[in-house]
Amino acid sequence: MATEDKKTTKKFSRRKFLQRGAIIFGGTVVAVIASKGPIRRFLAQKAENMDFPLLVSTQEPSFWFEVLPDNTILYKSTKLEMGQGIFTGLAMLAAEELEVSLEQIKVVHANTANGVEDSLGTGGSNTTLSLFKPIREVAATLREMLKAQAAKQWDVPVSSIKVENGIMTSGTHKATYYEISTSTQEWETPETPALKPSSTFKYVGKDVKRIDLKPKVMGKPIFGIDQTFPDMLYAVMLQSPYIGGTLKKLNTQEATKVNGVVKIVEDNELVAVVAKNRYAAEMGLQKIEAEWDVPKKWQQAEFEALTTVGLGTDVRIQSEGSPESLLEEAPDQVFKQEYRTPLATHAHMEPHGAVAHVEKDKATMYVGTQASTLFRGAIAKAIEVETEQLNIETTYAGGSFGRRIDSKHSEKVARIAKIVGKPVHVFNTRTQEFQNAIYRPQTHHVLAAKIGKNGTIEAITHHQATPDQVLGAIPANIGYTLLGADFVSAGHGASILYNIEHKSATLWQNKQPVHTGIWRSVGMFPNTFAIESFINELAHKTGKDPLKMRLELLAGNEQINQRYKTVLETLAEKSGWNQPKAAGIGRGIAIGNDRKSIAAAVIEVAIVNNQIQVKKVTQVLDAGLAINPEGIRMQVEGATMMGITAALYEGLTIKDGQITATNFHEYPMTKLSDTPEIEVIILEGHSEPYGVGEPPLAPVAPAIAAAVFDLTGKNLRTLPLKLS
Amino acid sequence: MEINFNINGKTAKVDVDPAMPLLWVVRDELNLKATKFGCGAALCGACTLHIDGEAYRSCSIPVSFAAGKKVTTLEGLSESEDKLHPIQQAWMEENVPQCGYCQPGFMMAAANFLEKNPNPTDDDIKTNITNICRCGTQPRIIKAIKRAAQLSQTLTA
Repeated sequence: MATEDKKTTKKFSRRKFLQRGAIIFGGTVVAVIASKGPIRRFLAQKAENMDFPLLVSTQEPSFWFEVLPDNTILYKSTKLEMGQGIFTGLAMLAAEELEVSLEQIKVVHANTANGVEDSLGTGGSNTTLSLFKPIREVAATLREMLKAQAAKQWDVPVSSIKVENGIMTSGTHKATYYEISTSTQEWETPETPALKPSSTFKYVGKDVKRIDLKPKVMGKPIFGIDQTFPDMLYAVMLQSPYIGGTLKKLNTQEATKVNGVVKIVEDNELVAVVAKNRYAAEMGLQKIEAEWDVPKKWQQAEFEALTTVGLGTDVRIQSEGSPESLLEEAPDQVFKQEYRTPLATHAHMEPHGAVAHVEKDKATMYVGTQASTLFRGAIAKAIEVETEQLNIETTYAGGSFGRRIDSKHSEKVARIAKIVGKPVHVFNTRTQEFQNAIYRPQTHHVLAAKIGKNGTIEAITHHQATPDQVLGAIPANIGYTLLGADFVSAGHGASILYNIEHKSATLWQNKQPVHTGIWRSVGMFPNTFAIESFINELAHKTGKDPLKMRLELLAGNEQINQRYKTVLETLAEKSGWNQPKAAGIGRGIAIGNDRKSIAAAVIEVAIVNNQIQVKKVTQVLDAGLAINPEGIRMQVEGATMMGITAALYEGLTIKDGQITATNFHEYPMTKLSDTPEIEVIILEGHSEPYGVGEPPLAPVAPAIAAAVFDLTGKNLRTLPLKLS
Repeated sequence: MEINFNINGKTAKVDVDPAMPLLWVVRDELNLKATKFGCGAALCGACTLHIDGEAYRSCSIPVSFAAGKKVTTLEGLSESEDKLHPIQQAWMEENVPQCGYCQPGFMMAAANFLEKNPNPTDDDIKTNITNICRCGTQPRIIKAIKRAAQLSQTLTA
């Protein structure tokens, strides 16, 4: 939302935000889009820099905050803490306006029963930005309500009341927030008070350790998999090991004989072994004899070929000048390359699952989900209770990276609980995590540029073939039919930002036999790899320094370009870009723009035993106002390590209709031994915070590829990068 | 079958299939949830605990192996929440966890490693601790292990 204009609480009404949400999902607006290229392009540009709306009412502070007897404040977060540190950032913001110390704020996940809902869930690196103003406004409103009540009781002017650490004083009067909060039942909501100027911030901008540090270091039972109910049973679901497989024949006789197995649930497509403990449930699952109908046993080559530029529907999402005709006119001046990124998965450490207790007219579930509200209605329907009768308690998530936007599995868990008539605990095996996941789509990119006589880039085109990340989640194919391609997520970052007069970007959308979805940094990951690798190759081709060439291509006065230039110049200095390299070291660079943030990396690699080894990473991030620089550093370090995994190791392959990876030995990820020296530089100087969790991931893979080229002269254009 | 062992200084008596992985016994029979399930195949280390002073990946160790032995989980690593084991203290000081799920396994692996290598180099740490973290806390884990080594030496000095 626009954070500049002054608002009262009324302006945050639900209706207003629903209207804003209609840009993409509303019926009337979407209906216009169908065949209109320019409108689609307009929407694609909007999506690139989308202000995600907030669907939480800010009119009721009690939905957000509770004052507890020890005069601490309970903040009920609608946003999932999945490692990104959002509880800490939100607590810091709330503390600023509540006039309490950070230690006085306790953050828990909101449950759906108390009416706090957030229809968009947690994701898109938008939480801090979307809540930056509302959370402070609600906190300030609560503070003013308490002050007004104290003033009334003491018969003093509100302006005479001072607050420190949640204790209000005026002359000889003194009371805690809690004392005042329990002194009446009648409250008046004032107009939203003016917010504190940033110059008086106590916490914002300071390094703060995460507020969930102690429970995580002590190993407290905070995750979904740790939750229990009395008399709870454990279940494991039978899931197809084949892509697109459906159950043909089932023999559960041997499974029922396993000691501890209580019941085999068979309900249409749902089959689950329910047992007294997880071990018995797993043993039971192993004894099930299942035959599968497999419409087609996919092999890697034909699966990969599905995602190829030129196949499927195409949607032009950027079109400036006439790049195509320029390329056609001068074929001998055209430089063209292709890039590929593979199918991959989230591989978060806590497997997917849920704990459910379904009673008559009442149900409770524990789920680590990014979007409880999206699935609540469907779950309630599946177990025949009213939506209001189903309470979803969101738990901390053991990693997510976009996977937990989809919580459809919870519906099956609830059905099992209803059928068994007892609480159940149902979590995937690791093999199921690999074989029955929602995947990061594979992509194929074709980039072409016309190089002028003096080495200038006169025209550039980018074609990206990609399955979708969100269209499949929109009912009844509306997404495919109306939008044509998933430029919101999968195609995010496909447009060329550089100042080249003639440029275009085109998406080629195919459906896939596997379910593809959101993965940390969405389309920005493959698109930055392809575009930035191509820019690096163009620099080599035209004999230019890759960093200087980027600065040239960014000439212009637009704010984003100025920010780009500052990031690049800082990076050049901090990474020693212009200093000589050590022997055996290659150096590469890449930059990306995501969620209004700009992230760029210089990476140094060595080759050890014919393996690429990342030695040093310098990341510069301009993420707007840095609420908690320490939290941002953690995210950049994390995104860097995940980026190294994505660049060097991860990718799924398919053989005889199955995903071949069954566990981590077939899906290697970075270990301590892969840890390079990482330097993080955070640029500041803005009035609002931008995204942090995703942007720093994108530049890692192309910077590594460029470093490998620098060292070996080999251009690696397919992820994961392999020397031979 | 009834199996007895010591867990975090207390006697545990369980009546389970002797082949049941120690992980599930600890988590679901003894309700100690710090030890995590990650892969079920001793590949990720999220389930690391100590048996008679050695680090084991408990998802792949049958409970029968623990009979009569001394098992320590993360819940039993520190004397109390106010008097932390150097590893947990160092994890606090370096602000290590992100999602936090893999951290108990890392801390248990690291605590055992430090007993055998009280003064490790970066390379020692990188070669010996092979657990998996997807959030990317590796740089801080390495720092925390070195800090814990210093803290231990200060304590014993």
